[in-house]
Amino acid sequence: MVKRYGDFTAVDDVSLRVEAGDFFGFLGPNGAGKTTTISAIVGLARITSGSIEVFGYDNVTQWREARRFIGLAPQEYNFDRYLSIRDVLIFQAGYYGLAPRLVRERADELLEQFGLQRHAKLEYTKLSGGMKRRLTLARALVHDPKILILDEPTAGVDVELRLELWALLRRLNAEGMTIFLTTHYLEEAEALCRNIGIIRAGRLVALEPTRDLLARAGRGLQDIFLELTRA
Amino acid sequence: MIARINHVAMLTLIRREMVRSIKIINQVIWPPIITTLLYVFVFGMALGSRIKQVQGVSYSEFLIPGLIMLQVIDSSYGECSSSVFQGRFMNSIQEMLIAPMSAGEIVFGYVLGSLVRALVIANIIMVLGVIFVHTLPRDWVLYFGVMMLVAVLFSALGVIFGLLAEKFDHIAVLTTFAITPLVFVGGVFTSAQLLPPFLRNFELFNPMFYTIDAFRYSYTGQSYLPLWLSLTVIGGLACVSLGTALRMAAVGYKLRT
Repeated sequence: MVKRYGDFTAVDDVSLRVEAGDFFGFLGPNGAGKTTTISAIVGLARITSGSIEVFGYDNVTQWREARRFIGLAPQEYNFDRYLSIRDVLIFQAGYYGLAPRLVRERADELLEQFGLQRHAKLEYTKLSGGMKRRLTLARALVHDPKILILDEPTAGVDVELRLELWALLRRLNAEGMTIFLTTHYLEEAEALCRNIGIIRAGRLVALEPTRDLLARAGRGLQDIFLELTRA
Repeated sequence: MIARINHVAMLTLIRREMVRSIKIINQVIWPPIITTLLYVFVFGMALGSRIKQVQGVSYSEFLIPGLIMLQVIDSSYGECSSSVFQGRFMNSIQEMLIAPMSAGEIVFGYVLGSLVRALVIANIIMVLGVIFVHTLPRDWVLYFGVMMLVAVLFSALGVIFGLLAEKFDHIAVLTTFAITPLVFVGGVFTSAQLLPPFLRNFELFNPMFYTIDAFRYSYTGQSYLPLWLSLTVIGGLACVSLGTALRMAAVGYKLRT
């Protein structure tokens, strides 16, 4: 895919395939094109050329089908400030076509799973940073997607919650969920991802299994990342 | 198999708009009702004693349909413009943009949510009219028909300005410089028959005049302009406004990059 904003090329001929069930890490420095790529996959950005398929559905011509498979946990908190956090989940499921009576139980399960059930009636502005991060993930999962796209899911959370989220992501992946993760924490990518893509200035500079990437250089991911992104 | 229209999503958005209105009830429901009561008591009593009859009814009876229209216009525009702009400003509109919701479902969700709010406010004022002024619509089909058409017109305009606005201040531009002045000179407080001839001609270029004149017909059974003309103008403007809002949402104007 290619994505241009006027004269500026944000994503330049990036071509990659994430297999179903994969835990894929998409890494790159700030402004490299990670969030633009994610925005294009979920339909928030319109690609200039190329195509994106989600489980066989083109995300432009078959957008309804494609979007139903995707759960997005964005980097910024963008909850509806007029809703309680329980309603944030129920209304989000509603936008995916799931009637409230069908998702109330699912919403309660997710609140329980993410330790938010005590705060179910609060607005999101009353939550701590860690709780907001959990709510972001719960909302992404409420319609039972097949691929979870995570944009910096552990940014700004403490070590305990980070490890908790890692365990959750591993479990979801083990249960068959495909995960597409962007992160600035390279140890996170090293610990979680089976395959890694590295993007620099809109171009893909590496795309291989994490194990091979680490073995190739015989060093840590940080050294490889710096070498590839500074060049 | 995916449904061609995501009805649940549209109903969810309508419900969301209603939740929003209830959360800010002191800002959006009570003020128009209190303002209307003040208009009825201050204008109706002060001027009503001097103006015996307008269009065959007392001044207070004449006033009620104009005041209902004033609040329908104000609330439908206000609801959509601020809700769409806030959604963009807070990025919460992305919850819908990433979901399998079409531009039409999003626009109709906002417009119908706003229509519900306008209907609630209008009918509370209608009941107050029954209690305090002893007036009731004579033609209920026209009463609801014009009300809904006008609410759709101004809700769609709200969507357009909610998308165009770069800051909150911008959504007030249409209200301050067009809607409020045109509504006030559009026949809420006076009949066109009482105006000097040059102002009467000016009213023909004021879209608010058509809305108030047609709506008042549902109460008094009389109008300054032929009813079909007013309904055609309102219907035409509603189609243009809704079409523009749908087009802007479909191309993702200030929604998708």
